[in-house]
Amino acid sequence: MAQLRILTRIALRNLFATKLNLIIGGIILVGTLLVVVGGALLDSMDQSMSRSIIGSGAGNIQVYSAKSKDPLALYGAMGSEPDLSAIDDFSKVKSALESIPNVKTVVPMGINAALITSGNTVDVALEKLRGLVRQRQQGNSDPNLEAKLKSQKEYVRQILRVLQNDMKKRSVLVSDKAIEPENVAALERASSNEFWESFDRDPLDALEFLENRIAPQASDADLIYLRYMGTDLDDFQRSFDRLKIVDGQAVPTGRRGFLFAKFFYENQLKLKAAKRLDKIKKTVIDQGKRIFPRAKKSEPSEAQQLLKDNQAQTQEIILQLDRIKSEIAVRRLQQELGSQETDLDALLKHFFDMNDDNFSRRFTFFYDQLAPLLELYRIRVGDVLTIKAFTRSGYVQSVNVPVYGTFQFKGMEDAALAGNLNLMDLVSFRDLYGYLSADKIEEVDKLKKLAGAKAIDRSRAEDELFGTARTVVAEATPGVIDEGNEKPGNLRALRREELLRRVYSKNEMDNGVLLSAAVILKDPKKLKQTMKEIAAVSARDNLQLKPVSWQEAAGLIGQFVSLAKLALYIAVFIIFIVALVIINNAMMMATLQRVHEIGTMRAIGAQRGFVLGLVLTEIIVLGLVFGGAGAALGTGVVKWLGSVGIAAPNDWFYFFFSGPRLHPWLTAGNLIAAFVIVLLVSAISTLYPAFLATRVAPVRAMQAEE
Amino acid sequence: MPAIVSLKDVVKTYRLGTVEVPALRGVSLDVHIGDFISIAGPSGSGKTTLLNLIGCVDTATSGTVLVDGHDTQHLSDRELTNLRLNTLGFIFQSFNLVSVLSVFQNVEFPLLLQRRLSKSERSARVMSLLEQVGLASHINHRPSELSGGQRQRVAVARALVTQPKIVLADEPTANLDSVTGNNIIDLMKELNQKNGTTFIFSTHDAKVMSHANAVFRLADGKITERLAPAGVPLKSVVEVR
Repeated sequence: MAQLRILTRIALRNLFATKLNLIIGGIILVGTLLVVVGGALLDSMDQSMSRSIIGSGAGNIQVYSAKSKDPLALYGAMGSEPDLSAIDDFSKVKSALESIPNVKTVVPMGINAALITSGNTVDVALEKLRGLVRQRQQGNSDPNLEAKLKSQKEYVRQILRVLQNDMKKRSVLVSDKAIEPENVAALERASSNEFWESFDRDPLDALEFLENRIAPQASDADLIYLRYMGTDLDDFQRSFDRLKIVDGQAVPTGRRGFLFAKFFYENQLKLKAAKRLDKIKKTVIDQGKRIFPRAKKSEPSEAQQLLKDNQAQTQEIILQLDRIKSEIAVRRLQQELGSQETDLDALLKHFFDMNDDNFSRRFTFFYDQLAPLLELYRIRVGDVLTIKAFTRSGYVQSVNVPVYGTFQFKGMEDAALAGNLNLMDLVSFRDLYGYLSADKIEEVDKLKKLAGAKAIDRSRAEDELFGTARTVVAEATPGVIDEGNEKPGNLRALRREELLRRVYSKNEMDNGVLLSAAVILKDPKKLKQTMKEIAAVSARDNLQLKPVSWQEAAGLIGQFVSLAKLALYIAVFIIFIVALVIINNAMMMATLQRVHEIGTMRAIGAQRGFVLGLVLTEIIVLGLVFGGAGAALGTGVVKWLGSVGIAAPNDWFYFFFSGPRLHPWLTAGNLIAAFVIVLLVSAISTLYPAFLATRVAPVRAMQAEE
Repeated sequence: MPAIVSLKDVVKTYRLGTVEVPALRGVSLDVHIGDFISIAGPSGSGKTTLLNLIGCVDTATSGTVLVDGHDTQHLSDRELTNLRLNTLGFIFQSFNLVSVLSVFQNVEFPLLLQRRLSKSERSARVMSLLEQVGLASHINHRPSELSGGQRQRVAVARALVTQPKIVLADEPTANLDSVTGNNIIDLMKELNQKNGTTFIFSTHDAKVMSHANAVFRLADGKITERLAPAGVPLKSVVEVR
């Protein structure tokens, strides 16, 4: 004890005695600071992200079929959906899993993706025209019908004029080769008076020409990649209570329905000009940045770029406005801008030429005066969305679901990852998935036999099946709706109505196929144990389930923080390897400087062990003092960051931060880890110098001091 | 009376690269308990080498070195260290105090290594020695706050604190002025007479030498002369070979 005291005393006294010790101390201090702050940041991020993932649909544990080819990836794996085998009967899974004491609820789900064309402006206009034409053919006696038809025709002709102008402008810019002559010819034909004079003779033929040859020329058509999760919407909302309906309403219990993620709705479906204005508003008004920064920069700011895009892409707005609306827009813009210009395009270009002084006013004007004339979103709440997806068996399945509203997860409003997953009822999902379980196929076969049906022709399938057993209609018919193969008569519309209105019982929802299920735990800390219990239950009941933690279920994203942690630890490792070398060298020098002193101690009677203890005690004291200072500093930094928060640099980080700001916190684990690492590195780096010190011969005491 | 230190035909050769440098070329001598012996000779004559061998900080190339009955040739590093700790005391030319420790702590240091005495016993022992060397009032000073003479007195106290049988001093007065040097020699002499501790010190100062009761003169690694100052019986002198 007394020896240890003297060692500590010597070590403490030596602490500030040499520059070398200060260098070593400095390295230890910075190293500890880094480990503490970095560790705390990543741990906090890990926790925040786990909250994001668990709270936005993953639950604590996900189970899926053990027969699946790919591992489950809720947020997609490398841009595609993993190949999962279906779980045939959810009700069995549910009752088995809910028998485990720590399981609170089990929410069925399945994720899939589809490409939807919201239809470009031309498509939308033509669709409307087609509807009116059809009404007339069916003998609708609405006195306004003719007027509506006329107005719609004029609108389509205006669109054609815009497209033609656009084509002319383009031909100035690009070589003739880039413009396909067929397109030019088609536009010319469609714009001609003869075409419209003959329109009423065979409107369907004319419409087909327009749809096939003109609509694709409008550049605002795009395919939208739609990811959706089919789930029991009631259970989902109950289990993930951070979900909040933003627009519209929740899907009524048992109904087919679709909820857009607000983030997706805003980013993918909103009018681009409006979206750009929103973006500018976010930086200019919310964040206080300038469109034109006072300091001259060679690069244009993001806001400037967005304004330029708005000026260049006015077509998107113009195409939406029929003659009456165009006139209103021109009038309003003239007044706002104090301009005599009559061309809408020129007025819009003028309007979008914004600066820091007028932005706020024009932003308000846009939403108050122009937006009411426009369709701000391609799909509105209340619309019926037609989703086509490839089923398991490879054919295209199409389903109509009404859009009830939009939702978002509280705290993750701008999180791109969670915000691109939309919600759909389970029945529609199953229809799109197109999977019939073994007993369902058997049931269908039985019914077929009962009904005396043989091979059913696809085009006659609806008529064949409509009106027989309801389950068959609900389960098996949506696959044969063929949107392209329109039939006259209101049979199709009726059937569609029937499907949309139908209320499905809880039993129907539970009895059926799904891809995975979220398991919500009572005590999330017992995750590992519960996963084992799930595996045991699955084996007992032969359910062939594979339980994975939320982190695994999140796929690549779940590993992001682990990867970041790995990166940090590699960085720390490299820093400490460097530190190791520096400390090693410094300690060697320190030892050499002390050869005389060590020799004296040895001469007086100190054993080698004492000398070893001397060097090690010094480094440990150094480690504790400077490591402690580093840890204290780190604690301060984390505390400070915790109070001010770190702003998420982009949408992705919203997800990792589980909100717009990360407020990191420190755990005892961070501090302990830092100390262990620092002491270990210090001790390791001192082993060789310490060994050298023990080799100092006592005779060195006799030699004159250098 | 048996010799406490006995050297027989001791040869010590240093190796500098490929060249062998002889430092001692066959030295034999006996030292008895209570002797106060000076080893004299010019620089490079082998004084320090001789002291190193007696002090067990180095071993002979050939010949035997017996210290308190132990043949140092056959002792392990640990045993040699224990011999140094318990049987020998050292006084160095440049004092060799631990700069970060106080006067008291420097003197206490060997006792801590011994781990034999309790704290109060250690304290009593240290204080009594510091009183003997006249530094009882400086116990909390750091070596850097002391004069050379004071430092060497601390070193003397440290050398004696374990009550060794032999104290070795390598040119203890070389870094001191003559008055202070004389004081140190007087102090050593006093302790020699009071406690019967054997002192072996090297010096090339004739005045310092005169205090010894025997002088071995070295030149070129050999003892060339064994002198006993007038009036003092020379117990240790062996015939010159």
